[in-house]
Amino acid sequence: MIRFLAKRIAQAAIVLLLVSVIVFVLLHLLPGGPARAILGIQATPDSIAHFNHQQGYDRSLPEQYVQYLGRLLSGDLGESYKLNQTVASLLGERLPKTALLAGLSIVLAAVLAVPLGILQAVRRGKAADYVLTGIAFLAYATPVFFLGLVLILVFSQQLQFFPAEAPQADTLGGVLAEPRALVLPVVTTALGIIAAFSRYMRSAVLDNLGEEYVRTARAKGQSHARIMARHVLRNALIPLATLLGLYLPTLFSGTLVVESMFNYPGMGLLFWNAAQGSDFPVLLGVTLIVGVATVLGSLITDIAYAVLDPRIRSVT
Amino acid sequence: MTDSLLRIEDLHVEIAGRGRTVHALDGIDLDLAPGEALGIVGESGCGKTMTALSVLGLLPGGGKVTGGRILFDGPRGTADGPTDLAAAPEPVLRDIRGNTIGMVFQDPLTSLNPTLTIGAQVAEPLLLHTRCTKAEAWEKAAETLRLVGMPRPAERMKNYPHQLSGGMRQRVAIAMALVCEPRLLIADEPTTALDVTTQHQILELIDELRERLGMAMILVTHDLGVIARRVDRVAVMYGGKIAERAAVRPLFATPRHRYTQALFAALPERATDGAQPLATIPGLPPSLVTRPAGCRFAPRCGFATDHCRTTEPELTADGATGAAGHTFACFHPADPAPGQDPTAEVRPAAPAAPPAGTGEPLLRLDGVAKTYPLHGGPFARRRGAGAEVSAVAGISLTVRRGETFGIVGESGCGKSTLGRMVVGLEAPTGGTIHFAGRDIATLTKRELRAHRRDVQLMFQDSYASMDPRMRVSAVLREPLVIQGIGDRAEQARRIAGLLDDVGLPRGAVDRYPHEFSGGQRQRLGLARALALSPSLVVADEPVSALDVSVQAQILNLMRDLQRDKGLTYLFISHDLAVVRHLADSVGVMYLGKLVETGPAERVFARPLHPYTRGLLDTVNAPDPDAEQAGTPLGGETPSAAAPPSGCRFRTRCPAARELCATTEPPVTEPETPGHRVACHFPLTSEPAGDGAAPTAGPIQ
Amino acid sequence: MTTTALDATQPEAALATPSLARRTLTVFARNKLALTGALVLLGLLAFCFLGPLIHPTDQIHTDLTQASLAPGGAHPLGTTDLGYDLLGRLMYGGQTSLEVGLAAGLLATLFGTVYGAVAGYFGGWVDAAMMRVTDAALAIPALFLLVVVAAIVTPSKPVLILIIASVAWLSPARLIRGEALALRSRDYIHAMRLMGGGGGRAVFRHIVPNAIGTVIVNATFQIADAILYVAYLSFLGLSIPPPAADWGSMLSAGITYTQVGYWWLIFPPGIAIVLVVAAFNFIGDGLRDAFDVRLTKN
Repeated sequence: MIRFLAKRIAQAAIVLLLVSVIVFVLLHLLPGGPARAILGIQATPDSIAHFNHQQGYDRSLPEQYVQYLGRLLSGDLGESYKLNQTVASLLGERLPKTALLAGLSIVLAAVLAVPLGILQAVRRGKAADYVLTGIAFLAYATPVFFLGLVLILVFSQQLQFFPAEAPQADTLGGVLAEPRALVLPVVTTALGIIAAFSRYMRSAVLDNLGEEYVRTARAKGQSHARIMARHVLRNALIPLATLLGLYLPTLFSGTLVVESMFNYPGMGLLFWNAAQGSDFPVLLGVTLIVGVATVLGSLITDIAYAVLDPRIRSVT
Repeated sequence: MTDSLLRIEDLHVEIAGRGRTVHALDGIDLDLAPGEALGIVGESGCGKTMTALSVLGLLPGGGKVTGGRILFDGPRGTADGPTDLAAAPEPVLRDIRGNTIGMVFQDPLTSLNPTLTIGAQVAEPLLLHTRCTKAEAWEKAAETLRLVGMPRPAERMKNYPHQLSGGMRQRVAIAMALVCEPRLLIADEPTTALDVTTQHQILELIDELRERLGMAMILVTHDLGVIARRVDRVAVMYGGKIAERAAVRPLFATPRHRYTQALFAALPERATDGAQPLATIPGLPPSLVTRPAGCRFAPRCGFATDHCRTTEPELTADGATGAAGHTFACFHPADPAPGQDPTAEVRPAAPAAPPAGTGEPLLRLDGVAKTYPLHGGPFARRRGAGAEVSAVAGISLTVRRGETFGIVGESGCGKSTLGRMVVGLEAPTGGTIHFAGRDIATLTKRELRAHRRDVQLMFQDSYASMDPRMRVSAVLREPLVIQGIGDRAEQARRIAGLLDDVGLPRGAVDRYPHEFSGGQRQRLGLARALALSPSLVVADEPVSALDVSVQAQILNLMRDLQRDKGLTYLFISHDLAVVRHLADSVGVMYLGKLVETGPAERVFARPLHPYTRGLLDTVNAPDPDAEQAGTPLGGETPSAAAPPSGCRFRTRCPAARELCATTEPPVTEPETPGHRVACHFPLTSEPAGDGAAPTAGPIQ
Repeated sequence: MTTTALDATQPEAALATPSLARRTLTVFARNKLALTGALVLLGLLAFCFLGPLIHPTDQIHTDLTQASLAPGGAHPLGTTDLGYDLLGRLMYGGQTSLEVGLAAGLLATLFGTVYGAVAGYFGGWVDAAMMRVTDAALAIPALFLLVVVAAIVTPSKPVLILIIASVAWLSPARLIRGEALALRSRDYIHAMRLMGGGGGRAVFRHIVPNAIGTVIVNATFQIADAILYVAYLSFLGLSIPPPAADWGSMLSAGITYTQVGYWWLIFPPGIAIVLVVAAFNFIGDGLRDAFDVRLTKN
């Protein structure tokens, strides 16, 4: 277990470093390089040269990278040239909101997908299975923004059940105080993940039902329901932890689209606005943070998996 | 027959799948008295497992009972009449499963839930079937684990299945089946996945528990040796029907059905002489997709007449052996008087193999060793010594041209690693391998490529060793193409010749490997190994996945080809009987060491090493009257990551003394030249009593 | 010589087994869902590339006199806010979506396969280094990377293909690497090495042919993903600038008019995307089954 943890953490550290390299490379791909990104579009060649010298951007790339990494570690992600704020402080405001949206969606997805997947496995080859499989395929194929639009048209325009704009409050408490306004963003974000997770649950339950230990449990006189609850579900749910980690990038992409559609003031909306206005420090800052969050997220889910699965837990 | 515990009447089972229906069981009649042990034997696909599973209503998906009854004497302590398990609703079956009928399956690893503790799994039936509390169930589970010989049961209960050895897992599985003290135990190949010594321990355990608990038992197995001394009566199944039913002794002494007779004759143990070919049963068992008319064995039977092919024989007795309820379904039964008629097909005696040990040395190993780092990955080496597995630890042996050298040992003894080093799939970490006088480690790349022609490997699983996307023609041509032998026409000619050699039709070239049966694939594997006309073929468990009758075909083929082509075999197997039949010389491996080596007949007749002796004593001879000689091996093989000091076998050796723990035993030849043993206290003919000076071993 | 008896079910010389490729196709054709997917895809291709021959429209010049017309008459699906005929624009935009999606998906599969096969075959440090790079790139959600890159360079069709492929190659690389790693230790590779065969033969005669199923199946999913990426980028306003169009940008344009109920601006492109992506997924699923034919005996 300790070996596994050490190895996994070392791996995550290397990947984090490489993520910063990728962002660093992107920074240098910018038209005019980092100077223009930081000084703004109106900067003159002279001021750029001056800035480059002052900031050390005329040095060799490896040197610059070390410098860049040092700044990152001290929390300096640069300054937005549109919003007159440091990227770090912007992220400090926006990140919790995105985390809230993503968290609610994941919870909703897990709560719905697990029973749906089990239902499909139990009713394999019956009508319910076919219908749900069909829906899952459609959900896979539906882009988040189209789904969001349809939901807005139906539930907001036609039925007027839920507002088409997400809560605009500054604090998390304020956001949660408007649950009706949260419904559509959360559902839109969650649907694709529900499809994926329920497909996983279906096949995991079916795989486990085919295992010999299920036959052993039946030979002991266990009922189908208890075999499902006590034996199969346990074994099918444990790997779901890693799947959660694998879906983090998809989840973040989903929040990017959903936030821009529902005008939810999280990191995704910040990113989208930055993309529209070529606010590169913000774009790269968010990209870096999302990458870091993904790496850490999958590290945590891997550790959770190791803790949950005795086969890995007991290997020293 | 009112006092039967279980009576199966005219049971029919069909299994539907992939657009066709298999008639797995076609009219099975069996009965079992309380406390009685019944063995069901047969080759794969004969329906023996389906019979066992249908009793508990555990048929696989698509399987259902289409006719007949399974009458089980009502639940313990009540007087209600027998229950028909074939028609009983699920709740009734659930009440019986794990309670009055316990079941043990073949593979103890997959049949246990990997994420539940052993305690929870053993206590589970109690919580289901009795009104005891969790604490009581836990207590009883611990007690049952102690009963099945689990050391420190209270601690073990908190472990998970993967933390136990195979033998211990099977003990857990048995504890689960017995925890409610059932009246009937059904064991489906309970020892097939285990090593010989573990197998023996488990069978002994089942015997003892059956005695103690007064249970009846159904033991399902393909292994005639397993059944010989463990059951009262035997039913032999073939093609979804019972071919013969008798008490165990009469069945083994005077088999009447031609199939039973042929099955016994195909056993390497029954071969009169190593130089003689084994009797074989030609062909394959029927597929059971269509119900064959007449006797199902007729297509493979040397005695079949038109009558056999059109009319189905019933189970009947006759005057000769009918007394003890010995029934068989055969129109032309074997004569019970011994030596009266030929057994199955035996071809005229082949000229004996060239006398062993006279050829020049072809392969010589000197102190060959292989250690693996325990943990893979780039950091493994830096963690210091100790984190290593010593798979092969200093093996020296000589294989002479034209002989068959057998390597025997249990799983994990390093025999396969040795084979892989000889063929060059892995490089030794110590010692040298000389082939035809040259150290193969010093060969240049070009020489190594040429050397490949001389040494070939025959795989255990030929299917896995052939690219599934290649037709047989491409599979057999590949070695010729790589070595640049012949043009296309010449290659095609050679391939046809190879197919002739191994007894496959030439039309096989257009087929894919998956279209062949296990035995045919083994023939293909042999054909490919011979494509480059090697002088040495390393055969790694080439017949261990095959049924007895097919195994005999392959062994005979290997022997024929050896004679015709002057091949040398390094034959690796866990099966003593097979090695004994085929090998001229033999080496016995234990935990990476060669403990004994010498001419096969000497080693088997007069073993010098206590391990060899133990192995021979442990083997389940297919003979109900075989005396349990000597002391079977107890305990389990230690891990190769931490082998015992001194003699590696000392932890399980009945004769171990202090010297064995401190000093590695030297190799000596205490009896006859060429029969070597690595033991401080070899079992020589002068009995070495307690305290007597060791007869060999100069190191004191 | 009767002891080496032939098995009863010996293959007959006259009946050669059909090739694996043919059996793969047969199994695929038997899968109704996959066949439906293939038919839908053919239909969409015909609609986008042959449709304009039957229903020619001007997709370059705006015509504000015809703006935002509801479906009917000369415009079966209505017109956009700039007066483009929607049916025609659906065909025109579909060409972009399909061309970019197909090209990017195939490019990504090609590069990913080579990258993955190299990493998997060489193993050890090479593999570890190559895989950490893909791990890092995969850690940043594809959409974020795409947006950043699209914000840096102004996309044209070829640029868009390159951008998407540069992000999409990661998952096939990882997949094929796993496959190569597993195939490398198969017994038939060992057998081949024992005959004296080398690395080249191992990779091109055994590993690649045995991984080809995975590669092709993955390619269909990659194309589906690439089509979605195009749509996402366009939706976020970062695709090929007007008057060029694709289904994503059409949807994006329609979003402004949801309040006033111009549903025809939203549903046709949305449904078109769903159809094409689902069709590719169905085909991929069917191919996955079909490529397993070698495992089904008899």
